[in-house]
Amino acid sequence: MAAMKVLIVEDNDRVCQFLRKGLTEEGHVVECADNGRDGLYFAATGVYDAMILDRMLPGGIEGLSIVESLRRTSNRTPILILSALAEVDDRIRGLRVGGDDYLTKPFAFAELLARVEALVRRSQGLEIQTVLTVDDLRVDLLAHKVTRAGRDIPLQRREFRLLEYLMLHVDQVVTRSMLLENVWEHPFEPQTNVIDVHLSRLRQKIDAGFGRPLLHTVRGVGYRLSLNV
Amino acid sequence: MFRLLRSSSVRLAFGYAALFVVSSLLLVGLLWWGTVGYLDRETAAVIRSDVAAIKEDLPYRGIPGAIQTVKERVEAISDGHAVYLIVDQALHPLAGNLSAWPAEAKPKPGWYDVPLFLAGRYRTIEVEAVALPGGYHLLVGRDIQDRAAVRALIVQGLGWAAGGAFVIAIAGGLLVRRAVLRRVEIINTATSAIVHGDLSRRLPTHGTTDEFDQLAQTINLMLGQIERLIDGIRNTSNAVAHDLRTPLAELRAELEDLSRTPTTRTGMLNGVQKAVTDIDRLISVFNALLRLAEIDSGVRQSGFRRIDLGKLVAEVAELYAPLAEEKNADFVFESDGAAFVNGDPYLLAQAVGNLIDNAVKYAPQHGAVAMRVIAADAGHIEITVSDDGPGIPDVQKPRVTERFYRYERDCAREGIGLGLSVVDAVARLHKGEFSLNDNHPGLVATLRLSTNGCQ
Repeated sequence: MAAMKVLIVEDNDRVCQFLRKGLTEEGHVVECADNGRDGLYFAATGVYDAMILDRMLPGGIEGLSIVESLRRTSNRTPILILSALAEVDDRIRGLRVGGDDYLTKPFAFAELLARVEALVRRSQGLEIQTVLTVDDLRVDLLAHKVTRAGRDIPLQRREFRLLEYLMLHVDQVVTRSMLLENVWEHPFEPQTNVIDVHLSRLRQKIDAGFGRPLLHTVRGVGYRLSLNV
Repeated sequence: MFRLLRSSSVRLAFGYAALFVVSSLLLVGLLWWGTVGYLDRETAAVIRSDVAAIKEDLPYRGIPGAIQTVKERVEAISDGHAVYLIVDQALHPLAGNLSAWPAEAKPKPGWYDVPLFLAGRYRTIEVEAVALPGGYHLLVGRDIQDRAAVRALIVQGLGWAAGGAFVIAIAGGLLVRRAVLRRVEIINTATSAIVHGDLSRRLPTHGTTDEFDQLAQTINLMLGQIERLIDGIRNTSNAVAHDLRTPLAELRAELEDLSRTPTTRTGMLNGVQKAVTDIDRLISVFNALLRLAEIDSGVRQSGFRRIDLGKLVAEVAELYAPLAEEKNADFVFESDGAAFVNGDPYLLAQAVGNLIDNAVKYAPQHGAVAMRVIAADAGHIEITVSDDGPGIPDVQKPRVTERFYRYERDCAREGIGLGLSVVDAVARLHKGEFSLNDNHPGLVATLRLSTNGCQ
């Protein structure tokens, strides 16, 4: 992933330093604001590839208000809302006011990174594609057809959506919860890792018997569809 | 006094008395107008018609004509109750049955009540004085002594009635106040006891449907809910103390050990990795507890909407089917088609997911797992999830929905012991039922929901 410029608005210093360190190590440029007022000022005056906003902030301006203000001025910067408020309604509200994704504290850094990168990728890849290709794997979204090296691969409806999502995020890490939220309609927390079983079946279909494996497991984080190991 | 007025029962009593007195006065007024008023109006009308008759001839026959008429009228008097007098400018009588112009009545036009010595005694006479042309004056009157007696009688009667009404009003008000106060007092005593910690106590109800009974029933319902919530909190805090403290203690011990024992870099990294995994597990316990609290509080009902249960369960089934296949288990999903209920799709998916998760977990290799959505009877839909695993003995069945309760066979397995608690809470939130039964062999879990309930 190319270097991103990310704004973090988060009042907890340790969380902020943790994020700054992690993102900088990934080659991204980070700016931090530790209160709502500075956050809104930076967000409105600077140009960022993505923003990570905490919900409960000092400085009189709450995270969601920042999102609302930005969206009112047609600022479309992808925003990940970070919050300790974990109830479903909080999440729905966060997305409704214009947030692009919602992550609950405590979180794993890999999860946050994967989500921010996915947001930036989505905001950049604006052109609508009807055919997705990675190496010799080809997905025709209109005809609902998948071929690899010219061979037809019959997929069930859900498997197709799974593959489509992975293809749209090619070369990126996609976490299990991202898959649950985006591929299945009623996201809930399975007690066992059912997602892994679905991915291993998909791998059977698209990778088994072909030269190069495309679907990789990223240990402890999730999956990545890529030509490179 | 002002403090007394702040009591709503006193205000109620006063209000009642005032209303009673006002309505009594209205009634008395009406009676007055209908009786005494009628007599008054009658007499005035007679006098007025006499005056009109005497004045009628004035333009043609002048004062002599009027004198003539008065004389005729005096002649015609039969009962001795009528009075006529016509006088000149110096108030000298010209005709009539009075010897002089009465002192109480001025020679000015108007109505006067004058006492006159008539037929052997003083009587009250109502008279009208009229000015005639040329400075002459006319007086026409009627004896109202009898009417005054009737009036006095009526006034007396009405006075007694009003006094009686006032006494009854006060007494009635006090009675109303006492009746209200007694019911309020009962509620007060009971709620005070409850406030002091006796949450099992309930307000007495009389089985009637009056407002106080309804109030008592509503308060009892509220108390039931409060008691359940407090029990929930008590159980949860006990469970949290055990189920969060224990892993936290282990985690702490391991990290402390790691920091004190010299080890290789790889060993250190492995230790940290293990700690992070443990923390993730703690977070999921924590999340499940918060979710349970959220469900139990009932606030999620605001997120209810009409959902197709058949479709929702089908999706969960589809998610879990590969997991059953991994175990070479036979997986069956059957649905009667669309089945609409009012509910929270996220929570219902979570509940059904927890059930199928368990079923797949406990089904043996080459076992059988089945999910069914059945229109059980009119107005009810049942979701059943069955496996042919070891099942749960009857004595344990009621306990497995308790928080953190894990039936012994489980202890070795993964899981946090909250899965069935969540299912049970979701069922309760949807005013449905959750039950566990023998599948001979194995377990069949049933989530029964109403199609029209929980609006």
